[in-house]
Amino acid sequence: MTAITVSGRRESGTKIALYSAGFVLSVIVFMVPLLFALFRAFQPAAVIQNPPSTSTFFHLGWMNFAHLGSQAHLGESIVNSAIVAVATAVLTALLATLAGYGFAKFRFRISNWLFGLIVVTMMVPFQAILTPLYLQLNSMHLTNSLLGLVLFYTTVNLPFGVFVMRNAFESVPAELEDSGFVDGAGTTRMLVSVLRPLILPGVATTALYAFLASWTEFLGALTFLTNAKLYTLPLALVNVQQGAYGQVDFGLLAAGAVVAMIPCIVLYAALQRFYVAGLASGAVKG
Amino acid sequence: MTAVSTRSERAVSPSGPAPGIQPRRRLRDSLTHPRGTGIVLVLPAVIFVTVFVLVPLVVAVYISLTDFPLIGSYRFIGLTNYISALTDPAFGHALLYTLIYTAIVTLPILVLGYVLAVLVRRRRRGSTLLRTLLFIPYVVGLTTLSFFLVLEAQPGSGAVNIVLRALGITDGQTAWLVSGPLATGLICTLVVWAVSGLTMVLLMSGMQGIPSDVYESAAMDGATWWQAERRITIPMLRRTIILSLIISVIGSFLAFNQFFILTAGGPGTATTTAVLHIYNKAFVQLQLGAASAESILLIIVTGLITAVQFWLLRERDSGKGALR
Repeated sequence: MTAITVSGRRESGTKIALYSAGFVLSVIVFMVPLLFALFRAFQPAAVIQNPPSTSTFFHLGWMNFAHLGSQAHLGESIVNSAIVAVATAVLTALLATLAGYGFAKFRFRISNWLFGLIVVTMMVPFQAILTPLYLQLNSMHLTNSLLGLVLFYTTVNLPFGVFVMRNAFESVPAELEDSGFVDGAGTTRMLVSVLRPLILPGVATTALYAFLASWTEFLGALTFLTNAKLYTLPLALVNVQQGAYGQVDFGLLAAGAVVAMIPCIVLYAALQRFYVAGLASGAVKG
Repeated sequence: MTAVSTRSERAVSPSGPAPGIQPRRRLRDSLTHPRGTGIVLVLPAVIFVTVFVLVPLVVAVYISLTDFPLIGSYRFIGLTNYISALTDPAFGHALLYTLIYTAIVTLPILVLGYVLAVLVRRRRRGSTLLRTLLFIPYVVGLTTLSFFLVLEAQPGSGAVNIVLRALGITDGQTAWLVSGPLATGLICTLVVWAVSGLTMVLLMSGMQGIPSDVYESAAMDGATWWQAERRITIPMLRRTIILSLIISVIGSFLAFNQFFILTAGGPGTATTTAVLHIYNKAFVQLQLGAASAESILLIIVTGLITAVQFWLLRERDSGKGALR
């Protein structure tokens, strides 16, 4: 009955029991599959691929991860994914910061119009313009190129970033900029020295979303990359799944998927505050 | 969302002869920064979205009116691609399948997300940790989760089968991914499990925005928990619920990764979604003109969903507490 009170009123025993039951049940349902996936990565492929037997099920080791390192294409794909995700995060944050500053603190004739243009692109699903996008990148010699992939991912993440950064700059008091001006700061110094501490949370939100979105992005990479040396991790895992590197090795697949999973969890857990700030900005995309 | 904030910003700005020539603004524009600084700052972002979204969008419309192949010459063929897309049984099947898939997952995502939001919305022992844990599947993402499920859906050895056999429901030999209905059921379960965390977080922040005295007076009047949910929480959360529905419907409508990885659209084309169909048409069959026409139709459908969102959100702008 007192479903939401901030006053910390004592709850009935039933409610506490229901909460405890819900807690345990939801942790089992949502965490056990992920923990089991982690466990799987330490089983030899032969164990994963055969009906479980108690004698071998708990023989665990690092062999799948060692294979990941020695399987040249997989090792490369992890490096490729990391390069692409970091570069996307940095470039998106940089461009979104500049644009956010421009839209929040400057008035020029077509500013509303240009902001509208960027917001409209947020509503165009990139899945639906893949064909012309492929032709476009191809004509710019940006297919089969990690740079091309970075430019594409940056564009996909930009509208959200611009939205977040415009909000960040709008909450900066005008007096701060005025005092920076009195101290003789130009546009660059204003951004780097005067405004930086205030907009850093917005930058972190933008970079975090861009990293998470590009680290295991699938459809774009599948479309724009055909050279196996440039494959990102999810594409290499499809090859493992289809046995393109010789025989189908489920141990390799499990370990590779765990490598894909860990950075997401670590970054989210460490930067949760910024992630939630992004959700609250109201520009979430499905 | 955006439209709303731009509007309110305009409403807040002090009334003058015309917006944009208030003395304070002009002073900063002309003295603090060199002329044109604003446009220089936004230009890189504008160029990016123009080159990689707007130009391709225009090109898509253009090549959808041609018999564009990847190599060789092409000519205008009018609306032929659209007519053949709308009469193509394969595209029709893909659209229908996508609609069915969307219809199956949408309500369970909302209900599960709502239940989880109720569980974590109040500050209790461990509730912050629980929020973090329940959101992790969404953060890991459907691509990675699909690879895990590939292993666990195997007949005999996969965890799905092991668990079902242990519960005495099946013999543990089910080949989930080679049957259309079974694969659909498995993928729907995966998706509901993976993305309801997002709905949970959205609804939870909405619920926390409802003032607690509303509930206190309801409790004073002897309202039960369910009455309070039905008469207070759900009506006040209307906008948040619509928002999370739209996000999940558009996401389902554009589904690709989990289907490509788990079934590749098979057996046959039984689990081919709209985006997967268009991908195959463009990059396997190399019919770029036809694929572009289908893409435009997909943009129109998602555009309609977005339009419905704005229409639903604008109407009856009451219940301000829940508008997070």
